[in-house]
Amino acid sequence: MEKINNSSGTSEPLTAENDWATLLYDNTRSGRQGVRALPAPVRARWQTRMGGSVRSAPVLRDGILYVASVPGILHAISVETGRVKWEFRAAGQIHSTPSLSANRIFFGCDNGKVYAVDCESGTKVWEASTQAEVWASPVIRHGHVFFGSADGHMYAIEVKTGNARWKQSLDGRIYSTAYAAEKTIYVGSGSGSVCALDAGSGTIVWSTPTGNGIDSSPALAGNTLLIGSEDFFFYALDVSTGAVKWKYETGLGIASSPAVSGELAVVGSKDGFLYAWEITSGELRWKTRAGQVITAPPVIGESVVYIQTEGTLALDNASGKIMWRAGVGSSVQAAPIISGKSIYIASNDGEVYALE
Amino acid sequence: MAANEVLLPQAPPIDVHEPSQSKPSPLRIPGLFPGRVVELSDGRSIVGNRVSQPIVSQMLERGMKELTGEPTCRGAWAKFAAPGDVVGIKINPSGAPACCSSPEIVREIIKGLESAGVPARNIIVFDRFAYEIDIGSYQTLLPRGIDVVGVQDSKLDSSGYDVSVYCQASFFGEWETRSYMASLVTQKLTKIINVPTMKDHSASGVTGCLKNLGYGTFSNVARSHQAPYSFTDPLIGIMCSVEPLRSKAVLHIMDGTRQVWHGGPLTQVQEFIYPAGLLLVGTDPVAMDTIELEAIEKKRRQERAPSVWERNPASITTNGEEFYHNPSKNLFYRQPGHIAAAGKLGLGISDLQRIDHRQISLG
Repeated sequence: MEKINNSSGTSEPLTAENDWATLLYDNTRSGRQGVRALPAPVRARWQTRMGGSVRSAPVLRDGILYVASVPGILHAISVETGRVKWEFRAAGQIHSTPSLSANRIFFGCDNGKVYAVDCESGTKVWEASTQAEVWASPVIRHGHVFFGSADGHMYAIEVKTGNARWKQSLDGRIYSTAYAAEKTIYVGSGSGSVCALDAGSGTIVWSTPTGNGIDSSPALAGNTLLIGSEDFFFYALDVSTGAVKWKYETGLGIASSPAVSGELAVVGSKDGFLYAWEITSGELRWKTRAGQVITAPPVIGESVVYIQTEGTLALDNASGKIMWRAGVGSSVQAAPIISGKSIYIASNDGEVYALE
Repeated sequence: MAANEVLLPQAPPIDVHEPSQSKPSPLRIPGLFPGRVVELSDGRSIVGNRVSQPIVSQMLERGMKELTGEPTCRGAWAKFAAPGDVVGIKINPSGAPACCSSPEIVREIIKGLESAGVPARNIIVFDRFAYEIDIGSYQTLLPRGIDVVGVQDSKLDSSGYDVSVYCQASFFGEWETRSYMASLVTQKLTKIINVPTMKDHSASGVTGCLKNLGYGTFSNVARSHQAPYSFTDPLIGIMCSVEPLRSKAVLHIMDGTRQVWHGGPLTQVQEFIYPAGLLLVGTDPVAMDTIELEAIEKKRRQERAPSVWERNPASITTNGEEFYHNPSKNLFYRQPGHIAAAGKLGLGISDLQRIDHRQISLG
């Protein structure tokens, strides 16, 4: 396997204040901790129909909202007007949350491909192939795109060329979106293992088993890796060794992904509760029933946590108390985007809303 | 009829349009073993609300051997599928994650099919609604190489249905009077293994083999019930009788590890979800649903809830919250008679006295 030279790679530029470049805001998986607490939205500034269900989260940059709809169309939408600037049609369904890097947008497709599309023109730059659907969101770091496929492999692809640098088998299907740290890639697998891979070679550094498959995507807080499992537990692992520091049992499986802010980690469980822990001690700060089932990742802002379940909820992040709840009349599985005074959400019925 | 019982409206005529060249299979419902139901029970199959993979593996193996009389698991599965088949596993993800077809049982079915020579690429796990499959995390939890397919992506998506096979009726003056069969079933699959759950159902009384198969394969079925009335009897049975669905559905494995005795099919209220630890195996969906109905009725009696045959107007509510939390209330006059009606269509045996009910306790 050819190795990546980490030292010569360029880190992703910091995201501008109102942008939202990837799943949970940026590669730190913070869920946008700087965002202000917004009042409950009272109206839709605009609403646009996508022509098909949307199950992945939108991303946003430079006033353009990018939404991937299940029938295989990536839409670039002006956040000012809600009008579609361009559309790119992939050769399969899309369940993957796109990621932005430089002037390109990357997303996985059910035909096993990952596409790189030019943000300005909406034309394909390259495509890379795997042997099964790619639902995970591609993560970009040091000039490489990292993602897992349902074929059971993690891939590292060159951002510029689309050429594969390495792939590594993890046994189970991969739907978890990887966390790309400086030299290590962390991801969960359908086999139930949480794995750390060397970013340069794809070699497995450590692997820690859980009791069932993993849908959740990891987050990193200092030297602690956080992730949920379908075995009902939320895990805090030592980032160097994979040893379990603490784990917490919820009432059902965890498909939601954690968001972190300072010493706080927040995740939803399929039991309908949102949980918040002290990262170091594993002490539960609060748990709040937010709905019947939670599968979306939360978004943490300044003093507020947003979660999508039956409607969008805002909770006080110190107490877990529900501050407001807003619905759009159709079911939503994807995480919202909070930008400026607006909340952008995309629904299972294919509507995209700009709420304020 | 008791004095406090309501007189229910008669169902309208239902027209069926089947493919003209459809040739019935010898395995078609009620299948190789009409009237035989193997019931496996093991209290260890569900612990801490989690399904035990090794225990359900033992239960299914024993059930398949008992059903078929074959000494080996491979021989038992070979009765139903061959290497050239494209096999659909029809799960029931509605009610996920609290109560749905367990991925653990689906994994064991996949192993069984593979032991009979069916390659992973020829096994498709499916249901109508993709978003319910997502909530159950089936994609992540099933082995590599198995296709997991939702026939429709949203409530209004009709692209996955075959317009040449349908049931037509006007129940409540609805705009669309046809329900179409999934193209996956009419065109791609050669066999179907049906994996229902064991639940009460607010409209049909129970949801078991018949409802999972019929209402999980045809489009636009919610129109058959408009509170408080339900025409799930006779529509469920009629849908299951339509070819090629009837010929392709060769085996039914009912997941009763968890049992919903009120609030089905969608409830997430754990108070009404009972760890029954059961698995039912058979080829006769009518006989299996008859056994299921008895089990749900027994549990409701134990919990002092009214029968699913209740016809008292005082039991009806239009308040969803009240329905989900009060087992004395319901949204519809339930129609458990759909099981016997299906029996009259030749889909199986609904007379308890004639059912070969083999109960096996494993632990």
